[in-house]
Amino acid sequence: MNENNQSLLEVLLNDTSFKNWANQSNQNDVVFWENWIKDNSDKIETVYTAKSIITGISFNKTELSEGKINMELDAVLNQISSKENKKVILLNNRVSQRIQKYAAVAAISILFIVLGNTFLNSSSDVIHKTGFGEIIDLKLPDGTSVVLNGNSEIKYDKENPRDIELQGEAYFKVKPIPSTNAKFWVKTNDLKVEVYGTQFHVNTREEKTDVLLDEGSIHLVLQNGTTKKMVPGDLVSFSKENDQVTHHKVTKELPYSLWREGTYVFNNISLQEVMSNIEHAYGINVEFIDEELKHQLLTGGIPNQNLKICLSAIEKATGTRIVQKDNRLLLFKSATNLN
Amino acid sequence: MNDSSEKTIWHLFIEGDANAFSSLFKTYYSQLHNYGLKISKNTAFTEDCLQTFFVYLYDNRKNLGKVTHVKSYLFVSFRRALLKYLKKERRFTNYDEVFENINAFEFSTEELMVEQEFTKLRVSALTQLLNNLSSREREAIYLKYYSSLSTNEIAEVMDISYQSVLNTLQKAFTKLRKHIESSEIKQVFKIV
Repeated sequence: MNENNQSLLEVLLNDTSFKNWANQSNQNDVVFWENWIKDNSDKIETVYTAKSIITGISFNKTELSEGKINMELDAVLNQISSKENKKVILLNNRVSQRIQKYAAVAAISILFIVLGNTFLNSSSDVIHKTGFGEIIDLKLPDGTSVVLNGNSEIKYDKENPRDIELQGEAYFKVKPIPSTNAKFWVKTNDLKVEVYGTQFHVNTREEKTDVLLDEGSIHLVLQNGTTKKMVPGDLVSFSKENDQVTHHKVTKELPYSLWREGTYVFNNISLQEVMSNIEHAYGINVEFIDEELKHQLLTGGIPNQNLKICLSAIEKATGTRIVQKDNRLLLFKSATNLN
Repeated sequence: MNDSSEKTIWHLFIEGDANAFSSLFKTYYSQLHNYGLKISKNTAFTEDCLQTFFVYLYDNRKNLGKVTHVKSYLFVSFRRALLKYLKKERRFTNYDEVFENINAFEFSTEELMVEQEFTKLRVSALTQLLNNLSSREREAIYLKYYSSLSTNEIAEVMDISYQSVLNTLQKAFTKLRKHIESSEIKQVFKIV
């Protein structure tokens, strides 16, 4: 008996529809489980324990300040470097370079916040814009969250935060409003995305718009007037210029690139295309010293919180050497490859 | 940080990339700090341990073995390091003793929010109920809801089976719900 309850508990905890009931997030699941409980009243103990485990305990989390963490990091780096005497100068240099870079990013962000505010006062448009290499996490007034990649911009009317114009690249988690069924729109040069509540990625770079849907369902209204319905895992590209639509399911075989939670995910994408993503987000020019590298394919996740880490990851994944010179990135075959 | 970027950063860290090391440090320092404080209840001690831990991690990065989940790996090895120092300092003979004697994972009213089915309770009452659970039950609750670890990861960190994590959580919540029910019954009688 006890063992039965144990396995039931495990089943319930791993059941999506049961989770929806516990969180009261889906009406169909709520109805289903209310009926199930009526028919299985002997299991009620286990059911309510499972519900408690899912809803859990809510904590107020305390985060240490960035200053404190940086101070501790410097202490650790100092200890490491005092052991490796030779590397002392090198590490310290990197630290100060990093601090300068953060200061620059902070200054740029403040500038944009100030700019954003002046726009806000002079008209009813709200604009959020990121500089090169800057990523911001936004909460819109309706509860929708937007992660904006570097060199991108969203704009909306203060009175209507569910109607947004996008340039660049962003990831959306739209908050559904079940009481009014209020829609959410994202407009680009090529198309309009029509949403109820869902998660998706939009990229307007390269004279076309890519939309990739992770959750929920959305409608696209293309500039040429046609509409398209998307289901999770769909990738649609449309360009107004040449009036071309592609509609694919994301699979292991399909080449695609997307960006979510600060990470690029590439699947069979040429290094040339990968680097053009970096050019857009960081405002930096890429030069291929070894031309044939352009066609090398890359598959995998590349973090882009920071240009240095991003480039090291690409170097490791492709066996190349990337050298930053002023505002240019030079790509070589790595020395080990030549052997 | 999501899974694939985490793996890349870990890989770069193993190869000695200072930026990757800093990025790991910044992502996890605050969480590990809070976790260490919950066990040791001593800020200076926790911070010393963390420093030694990260230096050790860097120095021994080539010999760390295979790491599948960075987050739970850091929790496991930091927990082990912390308990080792505590054991040395206080001359306890085993880890269970450490947990019992210092009453690890005590919660305070400030860090709890009352939501959902526990709305009926005041924060102070919930805090008291939680602190009446065993240290192990409290640690499981802490790792699941404060540190957002999955059941598998909790099993790894606490060095018990997946099944025991579920049992521990089940026991803890059964106790909590019994208390709530009996306090509700008392309320009813008071009104009548």
